Amino acid sequence: MVKISVLQHAPSTHLPARPGDPTPTSRNLDPLMHPFARARERTRALNAVKMERIFAKPFIAALEGHVDAVETMARKPGTLNVVASGSWDGGMIVHDISLRRHILRVDEAHKGKISGVCFADEDRLLTCGVDRNVKLWDTREVDENGAGPSDVRKPLNVFPGKSAFNSIDHHRTDPIFATASNIVQIWDETKSAPISNLSFPTSIETISAIKFNLSESSVLASIGSDRTFTLYDIRTGKAERRIVMQMRSNALSWSPTFPTTILLASEDHNLYTFDIRSLKTPSQIYKAHVAAVMSCDWSPTGHQFVSGGWDRTVRIWQEGRGTAPEVYHTKRMQRVTSTLFTSDAKYVLSGSDDGNIRIWKARAHEKLGILDSRERAAIEYRESLKQKWKTDAQVNKISRTRHIPKPVHKAGQLKRTMLEAQRVKEERRRKHTRAGESKPTAEKRKVVIAEQS
Amino acid sequence: MARAQKPKQSRRPQAKSLKQNNLRGFAKRQSLKSQRSSKYSESSDVYEYQPENVRRSKVKLQLEKDELDGARRDISGSEDEDDGPKRNGLRPRLVGENDDEGGLGSDEDEEIDSDEAFDESDEERFAGFNFSTKKRSLQSRTVPLIDLNEDEVELEEAPSENASASEGEDSAADDEEEGDPEDFIDVLDMIDGKGPAESADEGEHTQKEERPSASKARVEGDDVPHLEDEDEDMHDEEDEGISSDESEEDESHISPMDDAISASGDEDDDVGTSLHDLQSFITNLDAGQKRKAPDDEAAPTTETGEARRQKRRMLKERTEAGEENEFAPHRGATKLNLDDLLNPLASSSSNLLSLKKSAKILTSISAKNQTLSAPLPQRTQERLDREAAYQQTKEEVDKWSATMKKIKEAEHLSFPLQAQPAGRTSNLELAAKFKPTTELESAVDRLLKSAKMREEDIAQTESLKMNHLSVEEVSARRAELAKMRELMFRAEAKAKRVAKIKSKTYRRIKKKEKAKIAAKLGEGSDDEDMNEETRMKHEVERARERATLKHKNTGKWAKAMRARGDLDEDQRRDISEMLSRGEKLRRRIQGIGSGDESEEGEDDTEDDEEGAADRIKASAFEELAQLDKGSEGEEDSGRKGKSIFEMKFMKDAIARDQQRAKQMADDFVREMGESNHEDDEDDELTGGRIEESSGATIERVGGRVTYRPGAQQSQLRTVNSLASDTSSITLRSNDLPSDVARSVTPSATSPIPEKLGIATEAPNPWLAPRQDPAKAVPKKHEIAVSKDSASVEKSKNKLRKKAQKHEEEQSKARNDAAVDISMSNVMTLGDNSSAGPSKPKTRSQSGNQRDDGDDDSDVHSEVEEQERLLDRKGKGKANGVKAFEQRDLVARAFAGDNVVRDFAEAKRREMQEDAPKEVDTTLPGWGSWGGTGTRKAQPKPHLIKKVAGVDPTTRADYKKAHVIISEKRDKKAAKYMVKDLPYPYTSKAQFERSMDIPIGTEWNTRVGFQRGTLPKIVTKPGTVINPLEKLL
Repeated sequence: MVKISVLQHAPSTHLPARPGDPTPTSRNLDPLMHPFARARERTRALNAVKMERIFAKPFIAALEGHVDAVETMARKPGTLNVVASGSWDGGMIVHDISLRRHILRVDEAHKGKISGVCFADEDRLLTCGVDRNVKLWDTREVDENGAGPSDVRKPLNVFPGKSAFNSIDHHRTDPIFATASNIVQIWDETKSAPISNLSFPTSIETISAIKFNLSESSVLASIGSDRTFTLYDIRTGKAERRIVMQMRSNALSWSPTFPTTILLASEDHNLYTFDIRSLKTPSQIYKAHVAAVMSCDWSPTGHQFVSGGWDRTVRIWQEGRGTAPEVYHTKRMQRVTSTLFTSDAKYVLSGSDDGNIRIWKARAHEKLGILDSRERAAIEYRESLKQKWKTDAQVNKISRTRHIPKPVHKAGQLKRTMLEAQRVKEERRRKHTRAGESKPTAEKRKVVIAEQS
Repeated sequence: MARAQKPKQSRRPQAKSLKQNNLRGFAKRQSLKSQRSSKYSESSDVYEYQPENVRRSKVKLQLEKDELDGARRDISGSEDEDDGPKRNGLRPRLVGENDDEGGLGSDEDEEIDSDEAFDESDEERFAGFNFSTKKRSLQSRTVPLIDLNEDEVELEEAPSENASASEGEDSAADDEEEGDPEDFIDVLDMIDGKGPAESADEGEHTQKEERPSASKARVEGDDVPHLEDEDEDMHDEEDEGISSDESEEDESHISPMDDAISASGDEDDDVGTSLHDLQSFITNLDAGQKRKAPDDEAAPTTETGEARRQKRRMLKERTEAGEENEFAPHRGATKLNLDDLLNPLASSSSNLLSLKKSAKILTSISAKNQTLSAPLPQRTQERLDREAAYQQTKEEVDKWSATMKKIKEAEHLSFPLQAQPAGRTSNLELAAKFKPTTELESAVDRLLKSAKMREEDIAQTESLKMNHLSVEEVSARRAELAKMRELMFRAEAKAKRVAKIKSKTYRRIKKKEKAKIAAKLGEGSDDEDMNEETRMKHEVERARERATLKHKNTGKWAKAMRARGDLDEDQRRDISEMLSRGEKLRRRIQGIGSGDESEEGEDDTEDDEEGAADRIKASAFEELAQLDKGSEGEEDSGRKGKSIFEMKFMKDAIARDQQRAKQMADDFVREMGESNHEDDEDDELTGGRIEESSGATIERVGGRVTYRPGAQQSQLRTVNSLASDTSSITLRSNDLPSDVARSVTPSATSPIPEKLGIATEAPNPWLAPRQDPAKAVPKKHEIAVSKDSASVEKSKNKLRKKAQKHEEEQSKARNDAAVDISMSNVMTLGDNSSAGPSKPKTRSQSGNQRDDGDDDSDVHSEVEEQERLLDRKGKGKANGVKAFEQRDLVARAFAGDNVVRDFAEAKRREMQEDAPKEVDTTLPGWGSWGGTGTRKAQPKPHLIKKVAGVDPTTRADYKKAHVIISEKRDKKAAKYMVKDLPYPYTSKAQFERSMDIPIGTEWNTRVGFQRGTLPKIVTKPGTVINPLEKLL
């Protein structure tokens, strides 16, 4: 036989010597040997950012069921998929968002709008409405009476109040909850009357929303129709401090990771984060909405939050970055009245005037499903490339550009024009006053009118 | 008067609380309460309100002493109960009492009665009676008020009754009287829940006393900022628990006492009347003290007003001269001091200390401030409360700041942050936890148990065995075991490795080795012991082999085999074996012989290498010489003898043969005799010089002329030159061999030293290459010449030319030798010309040069060469210039590198390129006439394109000779430029550095890549991220 000598490809030279070892590289890692590294990486960054835009498909599903606008939503702590929502028609639904079905549905939970929903411990749910009642529900699919999801449910308990409730929130650990009407009331789940009333003296406002701090759970905050934000502590049993702002706030949310930080969604199209240790100025202003911001919610990571506005958009912000949020919109989505992050920080829910709850991805271009390690490495590489090359004009432009509905765009333009005109006017005024007499005030200083104690 | 004070006291806490800017919260109060309760726990009683009662009793005690001349009530016995009944009894009388008692003056008896008559239950009754909706706190607070009123009434009475009452006391009472109605109203108001409206007088009065109490409270309150004011309590009772109210009451009751003390201490100076007050107080005290016991006894019996009056008088008298004790300190010229009052208590208890401390502060403060400020409005107070509460919340929240900072600054966050680390379970853990559940498992377990093979059993048995051994033994055993194990392991590993080898050659070698080892072992035994036997055996074997002729194919068997046509395998193998054996045998026969020879030779050489070599050579040469002689002799004899050999062709043939033999001999001589014939060289060199001039040798042997290049041939020619010149073949050629033989020996040796000479001139890289004439004639030349004889002339010409050149060089060399050799000449000499001077030199100085050559044998390094060169130069010049020469050498090496000029030129070119210029864009033949006779028209102005460059004077590098700053702006590159420095970076360099480092796998190690691309925030899908929690 003819002896054939083949080119031998010894695998030992290309495989790690031991299982844990890195794969031997036959590359020269000397940067001088790679004069075109930068150019190549820039091209990759450009491709990465293009791919991001190509694959940005955030909308996942819409949960139907409400007849009227979705007023409020709450996620069940410790779960990923259970979300309760209340509507203007008094209907209350508990959704399983992963299966997209109703766990519980009560059509006439309250007379009139359900203004607040929150989960008590275990499977119980608290709702409050403008019918001056707080109701406690069992959200299990079959409750102890044997009533299934389709049966008419009776509340476990009803807490009657004296005036219409606007908001409700449950303490993180203790069986107490707080309601907001014309005053803030603290209730015990086992008692039918409020155990204490908290109000800032001389205030005759309507409290529109209330939230317990998550980490420092005795602290709670409320916002009122008097353009106020008030801080309470149930340990001292007092309204401790109040600030009055230029415009009233519509929603508030405590940061889960930074216990001193609170986020306010304001009527003046902006969102503000405050550090409760110094309420004189906001720590950051978030400007992008072109109409009043109706709701906001922090991501469980505390590095992102979502806001829904009267301008029919949902925006996802990075903490500390006051501009250029991710913007979601659909043709049929109306005013967004409630927004929510899921507990794994991967999805965002928005409830809107059209009675639907929509599920969005928190990161529009993220691939869902299982990733293998190489794919993950590639994704991470692309992300870091984008991050690195964001200063490049071309890359930046592509990543920045969003197509938004025309009305929103126009409103934005108009707003810009108006603000610019204001600025110019102010500048002129300053120019024509005696030198040094009027100084420009920082935008952050304009927000809070008064801090009351 | 004391009675008059009482209402103030009781209200004092309230007023005080109003006035205080209390940043004190209920927490503080609670602590106060606890303090207080501990204080008064000594006087423990079964009753619920015992502490307050006790305190109040104390107060009462003092007050009574203070104001009352007669002991109107029991201090000793049922103090606890005495408030309630009083209240009860008094309540209906509240309005009209003044008048009644004024006449009667026997209230106290009544009071005493009532005291005894009523129990604790009255309090409840009271509660039901008056403040049904309010809590007890209010009641209890109001109680003293009512009491006070009554007391005041009594006070008013007192002067009227008491003939001996001092004027001062009266005046004081009057003062009080004025305040009285207001007081009254006040109480009512309070009951209604309104804030107290105080008259100016009273305000003044109360302020005096309140201040100290407030300060005391402050002292006790330490640092807790918010003390809830009692006023607030009064107004929103529903919030407060009973306990807190009680505590407040405690406070309120304590403070009066202190106040009383302080008042007694200080007010003397301030108010003129107060001194008198005090005096009366003291006198009364004494009286009270004295009369306590009788009072008790008298309690049941009703006394008349006169009798009491009498008693009073008596007491009054007595007190004035009274003995000194705690209630009646000495009345000297000095003022009454607080210490005087406290001294008697010194022995009593530990709480005296705290009392003293507070008293000290009271005294110091009360001395300064006489008037107390009005209480803050409620709203302000609340604001202060809120402020304090906010501060506290802030503090609480601020505990998170470190955590938040850490999270903010973290480069990488993996959520959930507070996830419980899932511990890994080790094998041991699993084994420890394991319990057989299934049938199989339990069966196995049972078996193991029965066999005592379970882990613990094994350990147990081992330990049992170990018990008998000493420590050393155990360790030794263990060491041995370990060693064995180690060895076994190694052997195993080696065997495994070896077994893996597939190489056939390796196996073969291995096998041979093994065989050799075996043979060696056998041989070793042969040599030593079984010498004879084995040898015999071997001999026998060999003999048998020879007999059987197994090794030859001549044997019978072999023949038979050959006869057979086709052979089967065995037979074939046998045959091949036979053949191989024969072969081996043959080889052995030959090999032994040769081996012997070589051995002999080796032995010789071993004896004395050099001497032997010389000897051999000498003998060889001798032999050669003999051969020559012999041949000559033969020639001679042949000439004379046989005719046929005389014939020409025969002679030629013989000559040729001989020539060949000679040549061979020559070669041999040349090889061997290098070292021996150096002496001859001298002669030869001088003689052979001329001949050497022609590079090639022309040899003529027999009928053919052979041209050969090379030095060695030239030597041949020296001898043969004459013969060759004749160029005809004659018989004379017969004697050639002898000539050749004669000349060969010296000539053959001659080229070697010449070579050496050349070697001494070994190449110096700095010097121009020198041509070696011997080598210069290539082999090609030889071939060319020998091939076509027509080119002989050509070559001759060449040779001639060369010779001429040589002559010139020689002459030059001669000149040079005389003249000092300039270094520059040496260095710059080119190719052949350099060979001239150097070679002649060697020749001319051959004497000493050769010595050098001999010393250093034939090898000369470059260094030596250079050294020699320098030495030679040194002869001509001074030695000190060596260094300079070196420098010069370098300068010369880089001669012609006009860097500066080049740079200037480049800059000029750059400037020219950038300068503004006009370019004529006219296309020839377009827009102009063509043909012959047309002149070239001026370029049209619109076709002259002006390029606005950069004016040389405006350049950035203008007048900067050492730099070229390009004025070109690359538009394409501009696309990739960043306008401003991006945010986190503080300098351009920083930014550029960050951009320089690529992050891809191509340019990074695996780990580096992973680290470089790790995202800041990592969340796992499907993992609940809970908000941060306080971890205890």
